[in-house]
Amino acid sequence: MASLLQPNRVVYLVRGEKKIRAPLSQLYFCRYCSELRSLECVSHEVDSHYCPSCLENMPSAEAKLKKNRCANCFDCPCCMHTLSTRATNIPAPVPDDPTKTTMKKAYYLACGFCRWTSRDVGMADKSVASGGWQEPENPHAQRINKLIEYYQQLAHREKQERDRKKMARRRQCMPLAFSEKYGLGTRLQRQRPGAPLSNLAGLSLKEGEDQKEISIEPAQALDEVEPLPEDFYTRPVSLPEVTTLRQRLLQPDFQPAGASQLHPRHKHLLMKRSLRCRKCEHNLSKPEFNPTSIKFKIQLVAVSYIPEVRIMSIPNLRYMKESQVLLTLTNPVENVAHVSLAICEDDDPDGINRTAQILVPNTELVLAGKDAAAEYDELAEPQDFQDDPDVVAFRKSNKIGFFIKVIPQKEEDTDVTVAFKMRHDFRNLAAPIRPSEEGGDAPAAEAIWLTHHVELRLGPLAP
Amino acid sequence: MSDAKQIVAQKSAKIAAGAVVCVESEIRGDVTIGARTVVHPKARIIAEAGPIIIGEGNLIEEQALIINSYPENILPDTDGVEPKAMTIGTNNVFEVGCVSQALKIGDNNVIESKADLGRNVILTSGCIIGACCQINTCEVVPENTVVYGSNSMRRTQNEKPQPQTLQLDFLMKILPNYHHVKKTVKGSGALLRN
Repeated sequence: MASLLQPNRVVYLVRGEKKIRAPLSQLYFCRYCSELRSLECVSHEVDSHYCPSCLENMPSAEAKLKKNRCANCFDCPCCMHTLSTRATNIPAPVPDDPTKTTMKKAYYLACGFCRWTSRDVGMADKSVASGGWQEPENPHAQRINKLIEYYQQLAHREKQERDRKKMARRRQCMPLAFSEKYGLGTRLQRQRPGAPLSNLAGLSLKEGEDQKEISIEPAQALDEVEPLPEDFYTRPVSLPEVTTLRQRLLQPDFQPAGASQLHPRHKHLLMKRSLRCRKCEHNLSKPEFNPTSIKFKIQLVAVSYIPEVRIMSIPNLRYMKESQVLLTLTNPVENVAHVSLAICEDDDPDGINRTAQILVPNTELVLAGKDAAAEYDELAEPQDFQDDPDVVAFRKSNKIGFFIKVIPQKEEDTDVTVAFKMRHDFRNLAAPIRPSEEGGDAPAAEAIWLTHHVELRLGPLAP
Repeated sequence: MSDAKQIVAQKSAKIAAGAVVCVESEIRGDVTIGARTVVHPKARIIAEAGPIIIGEGNLIEEQALIINSYPENILPDTDGVEPKAMTIGTNNVFEVGCVSQALKIGDNNVIESKADLGRNVILTSGCIIGACCQINTCEVVPENTVVYGSNSMRRTQNEKPQPQTLQLDFLMKILPNYHHVKKTVKGSGALLRN
């Protein structure tokens, strides 16, 4: 029953700015705040840019200049796959002797998935393998550049006026150098929605630089529109010739309507991002700089700190009848973990999605630590835990299986959902160990008890 | 080309001279295979409801299934059902694991891995049916069509796919080194082309 192992069957509640329910594999754990964090309660920062096909790293300034596109790789305009360069031999006249012909190599781009080639749009074969392919130029490029310059200047001027006002107000309190810090991009002043053109105003303040007045002509509204061709309604549409919306919108400069005008574009760069807890500003996830490496320098994911609950088997669930569901609990840390479960109160606001009542074992479950060498160590004595066979079904290294009793409360339920609170001890090994006052050995890190709200989706009632 | 000991599968499988048909392939019924065609081991060509005529220069890879079967609602014992012949042209490629029931296939087509062609499809020439694409409509696929993607999107390409002559030559040299090859039986008369 592989569907029971699907990650979205068991969700944990994250209490951040919004209440988010997500499977444990998608959550992070800030061990300084001792709380779960989801992708929405952390701040994302761009680490580096890289091309997904040639894995070439690109510094951010260069990426911005090339509009976040790779210089060497192309995307198929038809199916968005990566294009590969193929070579053919064509006879070409030898420059010395026009009567003889030799075979020269000609290169063209081809897609392995949809068999699109650069010859389909009329692009001539190039004689160099890479670097010969040009993107067509945007006909409106000049006008757009001029508009951007004008608005950059306007934003610059507004920023200067704002700074001048601030300096005038706080002349006595703050030294002059502080006005330099009022640029956006520092953590003190994040982007606020509604700030006018703030991303263009990132220019440095250069006093005394004379600014040329750039003026633009306003766009003119035309009264007449180009009329439709005469046979627009009567001509049958040849579907292979018409581009799909997705193909069209991938090239917003041209938005070609016909498939013969689809030119390949350079491949978009992907980025590596690092995550930071918003409350304590510690890094939760920091990948390595090298695009070929998938490891992390800092990886504070929730699965390596919080015990994970998984569904193992579900019997036939019947309305108002008690059934036993087998769950497993896995201990990710190396210390022995103590987990106790509790049911949600009736008026618990987090338990909105519940559709069944649940009875959890009221004894504390003890989980052995994760021992990586256990499978190789044959002489190790198995630890002796006194397990109540009604509660604990099996025990295997750092995992136990236990029973809970579920009583579905809703008739005709398509998805029986249960919720409970899981309380476990957590030892913060990252906190600095202060020298103990008693003078004895440094104590082990203090155990704090964390409570998580876990929801399980058990599937439909048996017919 | 036809050295080793042969196992004639059925009495009516006519294999032209120059074709390389491995013994491990399963050929049932009235099948005619043209010259320079390579049939890999574990390919299956089954002529249940009529003969199959395969042209020259075709490449039929492993686990490909070319079957001329009865339509679903007709039992084999019904009278009055005439056997329809399935014709396959030249220079076609049937990649690994594809299933073809189309009655008429032209030249220079490529049917990629795990593609599925229904009985009522007629492929003209130069078509490429992408991997895992299913075509079970009743239509004539125009020339130089490419079917690709999980939604079986279509587009037209400018030129037909290249015939796999290099591959065919290589296989015709190498396959007999490792597999037993069925003995060629000269077919009567010229092969039928579409």
